[in-house]
Amino acid sequence: MSALSVQHLLGIKDLTVADIELILSTAKNFKGIINQPIKRVPSLRDVTIANLFFENSTRTRLSFELAEKRLSADVVNFAASSSSVSKGETLIDTVNNILAMKVDMVVMRHPKPGAGVFLAKHIKAKIVNAGDGAHEHPTQALLDAYSMLEVHGSLKGLKVAIVGDILHSRVALSNIFLLNKMGAEVVVCGPPTLMPKFITSLGVRVEYDLMKALEWCDVANMLRIQLERQDIKYFPSLREYTMLYGLNKERLDSLSKKITIMHPGPINRGIEITSDVADSDQSIILDQVENGVAVRMAVLYLLAGQKNISEA
Amino acid sequence: MLFLYNQPNILFSRDKSMKILIKQATVVNAGSKFNKKIVDILIDSGVIAKVSESTLNDVADKVIEAEGLHLSIGWADITANFADPGFEYKEDMASGAAAAQAGGYTAVGVQPATQPALHSKSEIEYVVAKSANKAVEVWPIGSLFVANEGKDLAELYDMKLAGAVAFSDAKRPIADAGALSRALQYSGGINTPIMVLPYDKTVAPGGMVNEGEVATRLGLKGIPALAEELMVARNIKLAEYNNAPLHFTAISTKGSVKLIKEAKAAGLKITAGVNFYNLFQTDDALTGFDSNFKVTPPLRTQADVDALVEGLKECTIEIINADHSPENIEHKDVEFDFAAYGMIGLEVAFAALNTHVAPKIGLEKLVNILTENPRKLFGKAIPEFIEGAKANLTLFNPAEKFTFAKANIRSKSKNSPYIGTEFTGRVVGTVRG
Repeated sequence: MSALSVQHLLGIKDLTVADIELILSTAKNFKGIINQPIKRVPSLRDVTIANLFFENSTRTRLSFELAEKRLSADVVNFAASSSSVSKGETLIDTVNNILAMKVDMVVMRHPKPGAGVFLAKHIKAKIVNAGDGAHEHPTQALLDAYSMLEVHGSLKGLKVAIVGDILHSRVALSNIFLLNKMGAEVVVCGPPTLMPKFITSLGVRVEYDLMKALEWCDVANMLRIQLERQDIKYFPSLREYTMLYGLNKERLDSLSKKITIMHPGPINRGIEITSDVADSDQSIILDQVENGVAVRMAVLYLLAGQKNISEA
Repeated sequence: MLFLYNQPNILFSRDKSMKILIKQATVVNAGSKFNKKIVDILIDSGVIAKVSESTLNDVADKVIEAEGLHLSIGWADITANFADPGFEYKEDMASGAAAAQAGGYTAVGVQPATQPALHSKSEIEYVVAKSANKAVEVWPIGSLFVANEGKDLAELYDMKLAGAVAFSDAKRPIADAGALSRALQYSGGINTPIMVLPYDKTVAPGGMVNEGEVATRLGLKGIPALAEELMVARNIKLAEYNNAPLHFTAISTKGSVKLIKEAKAAGLKITAGVNFYNLFQTDDALTGFDSNFKVTPPLRTQADVDALVEGLKECTIEIINADHSPENIEHKDVEFDFAAYGMIGLEVAFAALNTHVAPKIGLEKLVNILTENPRKLFGKAIPEFIEGAKANLTLFNPAEKFTFAKANIRSKSKNSPYIGTEFTGRVVGTVRG
C-alpha cells in the first residue's frame, strides 16, 4: 500500500491500521534522511503549505515548518493574533483568502473541536489538523506511537498509561484512538474531575491511583496541566495536583521495572514531572520532538502524494 | 377568512364566498363520528357546509382530490420562534406564519425570545396586530420575567388582557428557585399556564451536547442528563408547594420521563412537551460536527428516545414541539462551538414524526397530540369537525414520499439538518375559515 485512505488528516479516528502503518514506515525513511548531512528532499517542490495557527503554539508550528521546509515546500505562516481574525472575519473567509493566493495544503491549529472537520466541508485544499480544541491532535499521537515503537518494537500488547487532564486533552484522545487501533492497552489516570464520565466507552480503563497506573504500565505519557483550558476550578491547587499525580524520581525508582516516560511538551517542570525525571535515561521526551519532524514529513508527503503533485 | 392549499400549486385566498370541495378524504379525528371514514367535504365561505360518506357533486371554486388524502382538525404548536420583533433577518411574522401553514399548522404559540422580549402589553399587542389575517392563528406567549432574565416578574395580568396565552422565559432556564416559586404562586391568581425549560447550567459548564460516548469521542463538553433532571425534580417540588400547574416545555431524558410520570401519579398538575427531533434522533448524528444538530435540549441516546416515545404512548408527555428556531447561515455555518442552537422545525416536523414516531404510537395518536393537546394546555377551544362549524383543517397524505427540499422552505432561515432527507408523509394544505 502506498496511499492513504483519507483526503485530509483530521483525526486518528478516520485512519485505518494500514494508514497508520504507512505513515509510521514512511516516517522511518524520513528520519533517516533528516539525520544525514543534507536534510532536504525535493518531494514537495512547488507545493505551497499554509500553517494557520489560531491558537498559540511554538513547538508544533516549528515542527511542521521544519518538516515542510525539509520537503522543499513553500511555506507561509499565519498566526491569529497578527491577523484579520481579530477584526471579526470568519474562519472560512480567512482560509479562502489565503487559498486564493494558491495554497495547496493547510495545517491548522484551532481552539475549537471539529474546526478541521468544518473547514474540510468548505475548502478544496488538503487539511492537516495540528490540534482542534479537546478533539484531536493526530500528528502528536503518530509521533508518540513512532517513539514508543522505537523503544518497545511493537505496539501490540503494550501497556500505556496516560496521566493528567484527560478532559481537556486532544493528545489523550488521539493517543487512545491510535493505541486502541494498534492493539495496545490504555489506562487513563488523573483527578476524577478531569476524567470524562464516559471515557471507558472508548475502550480504556480508568485508574485514579498514580502508583497503581505506573506499576501496571510499560509507558507513561505525562500530560501537561493546561490551566488556560480550564474555565472553572477542577482541583484545589497545582500543589495538591502534584502531590497526587506528579511524577518524581522517588516514585519512578520505587517501581518494580523500568518504564518509559513521555511528555507532549511543553513541560511544567515540577508539576506533572520533576526535572530529574524529565532528564532521566528513562525519558524519551526529546526523541519525541525529533520524531515529530519525521512523522509530519511523512504525513505531508503522503497527503500531497495523493494529488500526484510529486514523487520523491 | 383564509383558504390555503399547498399542492400542486399554492392557493391562498381571502375570498369569503369561496367554495372548496374536498374529495375522498380519510378522517383522522378520534372524537368524530367520521373517524377513519372516507368522506367528501364541502366548505362554503369558511364553514364546513357538508360532510358526507357518499359522493358530493356540488359545484366548487376549488376541488381538492388526491389519492391517499387524509384530513384532521388543524394542528397546533406552542414553541415557535418567529424572531419578530428584533431578529427579522431570521424570520418575521409573515414568513413564520407561512412556514407554519406549509407544515400543516393552523395555530402556533410564539415564544418570547425576541428583542425586546414579549414582556409587556406593548409587545403582546404588537404580535397580535402583526399576526392578524395571517395563514395561522398566532398565540403570543409572554415573558414570565422581564427580559426573560428569571429575576423580576413581568406584568402577567396586563399581558394576559392584551392576548398572552401563557408565560415562559423561552429557552432560558430559571435558575432562581425562589423567583419561579413566586411566579407560580402569582400566576395562580390569573389562571394562565407557565412553561419552563428544565436545565441547570451549573452542572454542565461549557456543555453543548449530550454527555456520553459521542461527546467524549468528539472532545465536546457534555450536558449530563442530570442537568435536566435536577431542574425537573426541583420544579416539580415548586409546583407541588404552590399547588400550581406547570408545563415543562421540552424534556429529553429517560429520567425526566420517570420523574414526571411519578409527579402525575401523585396528582400534581404537571405536563410536558418534547421536541420532535428528540423522538427519533440520537447524538450519533453529531459525529460530523453538523451544527444543525446543535439543539436545546440536546440530542440524547437511544434509551432516552425510547423512553420519550413510551412517555407519549402512556400520556406522560402531552405535547410534541416543532421547536422552530430559525437561525441565519452566519450563525450556523461556523465552528461548532460558535454556532447558535436550534433548527427550523415547522415545515418538517410532521414528515419526520409520521416517518419515525407514527409507526410506534399510531397515526391517530400522533394527530390527536398535534391537534387537541396544545389547545387544551392553553385553554383554547378545540375546533369541531361537524357541519356548520368553522373550517379549521389540515390535509395530509401519510403515505406520500417526500424529500425536504431547501428550495421549498418558506421560513427565511434554512437551518435544517433534514434538507435532502426523504420522509414518508406530506402536508397537502390547510383550510382555516
